[in-house]
Amino acid sequence: MGKYKAVIGLEMHCELKSNSKVFSSAKNSYNEVPNDNITYLDLALPGTLPVVNKKCVHDALMMSMALNCTQPEYMYFDRKNYYYPDLPKGYQITQMDAPVGINGFVEIECKGEKKKIYIHDIHLEEDAASLDHFYDTTNIDYNRAGVPLLELVTEPCINSPEEAVAFLETMRSIYKYCDVSEADTKKGQIRCDVNVSIMDNDATELGTKVEMKNINSFSNVYDAICYEIKRQSELKDQGRYDEVEQETRRFDEETGTTIRMRSKADALDYKYFVDPNLPKFKIDPEWLEEIRNEIPLLANQRKEKYIKEHGLSEYDAGVIVKEREYAEYFENCIALGIDTKTAANWLTTQILGFINKEEISLKDFYLTPKLLKQIIDEIDKGTLSTKLAKEVFYKALEEKKEPKNFISQENAQISDKNELETLINQILEENTHQVEEYKKGKTNLFDFFVGQVMKNTHGKANPVLTKEILKQKLEK
Amino acid sequence: MKFTSELVDDLAAKLLIGLSKEENQMVVDEFNIIDDTLKKVEKIENIKEVEPMTHCLDDFTFTLREDKANESISVEDALRNCKKTEGREVEVPKVVGGDN
Amino acid sequence: MNQTIEELHELLKEKKITSQELVQESLKKSHEVQEKYNAFVTILDEAKATEITDNPLSGIPFGIKDNYSTKGILSTGSSNTLKDYIPIFTATAVEKLLSAGAIPVNKTVLDEFGMGGTGTSGHTGVVLNPWDSTRMCAGSSAGSACAVASGVYPYALGSDTGDSIRKPAAYCGIVGYKPTYGMISRYGVFPFASSLDHCGVLTRSVADAAIVVDNMKGIDPQDMTSWDSKDLHLYEHVKDDVKGLHCCYIKELCNIESYPNPTEELKSHLENFKNKLELCKELGIEVEEVSVDSALLEALPSVYVAISCAEATSNMSNLTGLIFGPRGEGNNVFEMMMNHRTHGFSPLIKRRFVIGSYILQKENQERYFKNAQRVRRLLVDTWKKLFETYDAVILPVGTGPAKHLDGDKDILSHDTEVLEEHLQIGNFGGFPSITLPDGFINNLPVALNITGNCYNDETVLKIAYALESKMNYKNQIAKEVE
Repeated sequence: MGKYKAVIGLEMHCELKSNSKVFSSAKNSYNEVPNDNITYLDLALPGTLPVVNKKCVHDALMMSMALNCTQPEYMYFDRKNYYYPDLPKGYQITQMDAPVGINGFVEIECKGEKKKIYIHDIHLEEDAASLDHFYDTTNIDYNRAGVPLLELVTEPCINSPEEAVAFLETMRSIYKYCDVSEADTKKGQIRCDVNVSIMDNDATELGTKVEMKNINSFSNVYDAICYEIKRQSELKDQGRYDEVEQETRRFDEETGTTIRMRSKADALDYKYFVDPNLPKFKIDPEWLEEIRNEIPLLANQRKEKYIKEHGLSEYDAGVIVKEREYAEYFENCIALGIDTKTAANWLTTQILGFINKEEISLKDFYLTPKLLKQIIDEIDKGTLSTKLAKEVFYKALEEKKEPKNFISQENAQISDKNELETLINQILEENTHQVEEYKKGKTNLFDFFVGQVMKNTHGKANPVLTKEILKQKLEK
Repeated sequence: MKFTSELVDDLAAKLLIGLSKEENQMVVDEFNIIDDTLKKVEKIENIKEVEPMTHCLDDFTFTLREDKANESISVEDALRNCKKTEGREVEVPKVVGGDN
Repeated sequence: MNQTIEELHELLKEKKITSQELVQESLKKSHEVQEKYNAFVTILDEAKATEITDNPLSGIPFGIKDNYSTKGILSTGSSNTLKDYIPIFTATAVEKLLSAGAIPVNKTVLDEFGMGGTGTSGHTGVVLNPWDSTRMCAGSSAGSACAVASGVYPYALGSDTGDSIRKPAAYCGIVGYKPTYGMISRYGVFPFASSLDHCGVLTRSVADAAIVVDNMKGIDPQDMTSWDSKDLHLYEHVKDDVKGLHCCYIKELCNIESYPNPTEELKSHLENFKNKLELCKELGIEVEEVSVDSALLEALPSVYVAISCAEATSNMSNLTGLIFGPRGEGNNVFEMMMNHRTHGFSPLIKRRFVIGSYILQKENQERYFKNAQRVRRLLVDTWKKLFETYDAVILPVGTGPAKHLDGDKDILSHDTEVLEEHLQIGNFGGFPSITLPDGFINNLPVALNITGNCYNDETVLKIAYALESKMNYKNQIAKEVE
């Protein structure tokens, strides 16, 4: 990254999955109809009180443990006070004093190298309402007000935009594996604040930190960091580093640049204090243990296992662990007795190819491992060629019928011994010259005869049986 | 930071509150009394070792809410007390600049 | 209407009166009291009779402090910021009374959002004391105290953050009871300072207070700080024997020697209090004098202001006029919110917000807010220590009878006596605390207070009941003095 070292810290907000909101009983789901998932608390009507959603605490604790954080003995919440039209109560309930996790780390892989990213803290909080801007008015929709958010803050230990994105990808994978969030940036479920500073490679003191708020896609995070490093480096090159101010900037997607919002001096004092409406509660160590046991094997752990135990290639293993549902599909195949490499092969080529093309989720994919096995079994038995197997695969998907329906009918192999014998006799008669050559010792002509049979049957001849009969006849 | 009348105005502005000159002076006077008393508090032996009391009761157990969603309140109810609405939403003049 | 709940319930059961008659009488009195003392924000002229059941509250009118959210009924918190607010839900405590068959007939005036102790800062004007209309009712439950003392109905709801039920009860010659924190759900009560806010009731007898709170209490899934009190039966035990119980009073507060320049009123008040301690002894209650660290006591008023203002400034940040309440004027949304708040809040509240905000600032928190919270704990621990030995602490309320309206204006001054403010300890610790009339000075009522340990509401009430039975102030109706 040139002559300067970049120092990057990330704050990642991720919406949690749940039936109801984190402090109110209104539905937590994306809703196009404004103000259709709300209750009294979401409007901050006088006298309403927050009540903590157990599942959100559960999921937050799970993430805390998955990220190797330390959990507090007592859980409580703080108020972050500020006025903004999207914040009906005039404060956000969040965690400042005793976040659900502190001092954790997560291992990422970037450009083939492993690196630990240290987590400062992870805390549970509520989302704000959404503002819809028009020509000279703004409309407020409270559906999102109170949606559970997990905010994760890294230490400033990231040194390149690639690492930042690798970290975000890893985090998204962990959220999805733990099934606590859909972690879909397209739905605005992940938002990031990014801190960037630069320093001389040999320097020990950190440079001036610039914060960029509310970046809503990983590629924008990448672009914003690149731009900011470039901007700061150029100023430093020109001896104008003092113009780099501790400030908050906004990333502008259209121009790919960052634009100054306000300086650190204008920063608000949020006057955090413990929310007296939400009692301190002791986190039961038994409950914590239960949650710990619910944490599934994460992507990197599964990848290692697939390579070591199942003999998959690094590449295939990497593709399969990309999504938890892929990995589960793969594991279900293995559990059914499908050969690991065969399963990996089908999954990474045919199946992922199909669902990506059709833009569907693997969950909605018609051929479950059980149905896929119908095809693979036939291949193993030798009753279906690989080529035909693919045809059966697509036919089954097209008609949403079990593969076995297509195996015994038009695509089925010719496995009738008499039928094949008649055919082979005929071929041998037509090729007496080759038969003689063969008998003289030119045994590599065997494949020629197999080829002839296949040609005559349009590939439908059962290859095992064909070979068997041919051998018999030619050895005579 | 000294508790001056400029500070009082600044604090009030941040709370989105305007104060008259008289009100401002009253805040300063009243605050000085509190300041005097709390100065004495600092002298209480081992005060820093006391756990701040943030809740009224901290000796009882309670349950977290099960994750069940209730039906939304009706939009008519939600907007009943709102003075300016547009469709199903609260309307305000265009919000520009500043945010959290 | 001049009778207790117990008596009215008997009459209703025996059909000597009807619920309809009670409602009509109560409404008529409401208008008279409104005319004379300005106690109400709203009078519910369309209030209807209910069926008489075994519930002692059925068919009987009552009043609701205007900081309780009542569906379809204007609920202002006595603030211009909510002067037109019609809630879409009802507070849990009110809901419970409605299902008991109780009939709300009015919403009573308070100091704006409960922040104040004079009954003078409500947006509808000053509430006058029915014993002497040149004096205050104290606050913040001023309208409720005034109405109950005037005989509008046997009880009205109050809320108590510092002494907002117990002080006005004292000034109006009636009973004011706030149970242990969280026994009554706060859901639907406009918050002042959440860690100090209690619900409670003003009545003219201890037994009535027990009956009402029996019907208001209960764990509420909508208030995480509420707790299950189904094993507490207040009315059932109110008449239990008190012989052998132990009470204490605090030397530093009760001895006239503690005050360098005592007024005649204060002298009489403390002397009267000491006489009532003799009544306790006659009941078989042992009474002892104890001493408490005066440094802690002296910090009390400031600690209260620090904590309550800090919480209040945050609690009332939802009052912006955007979703409810009148819209402010302005060119942009921030100007509109500011305009709403500047004109909506009374000067007292605005001052308190600024102080609360200063105290919460990052650089001041440790010194002001956290230290205040630390002293709160020290005071609570001191009282808890007393409760290891004593069943209750018994103290005089205030420095005498109701103050003149042209005097105290709710400004914390250097000479604020701890005696005026000590009831706040009950809020610090969430202790059950009841005030009852214990005599007269210059024909104006004065009172004493009994405070016990958390969850010991039954004990506190039975001491109060026993003492009440030894005095002649039960169910007294205000008689205007010359």
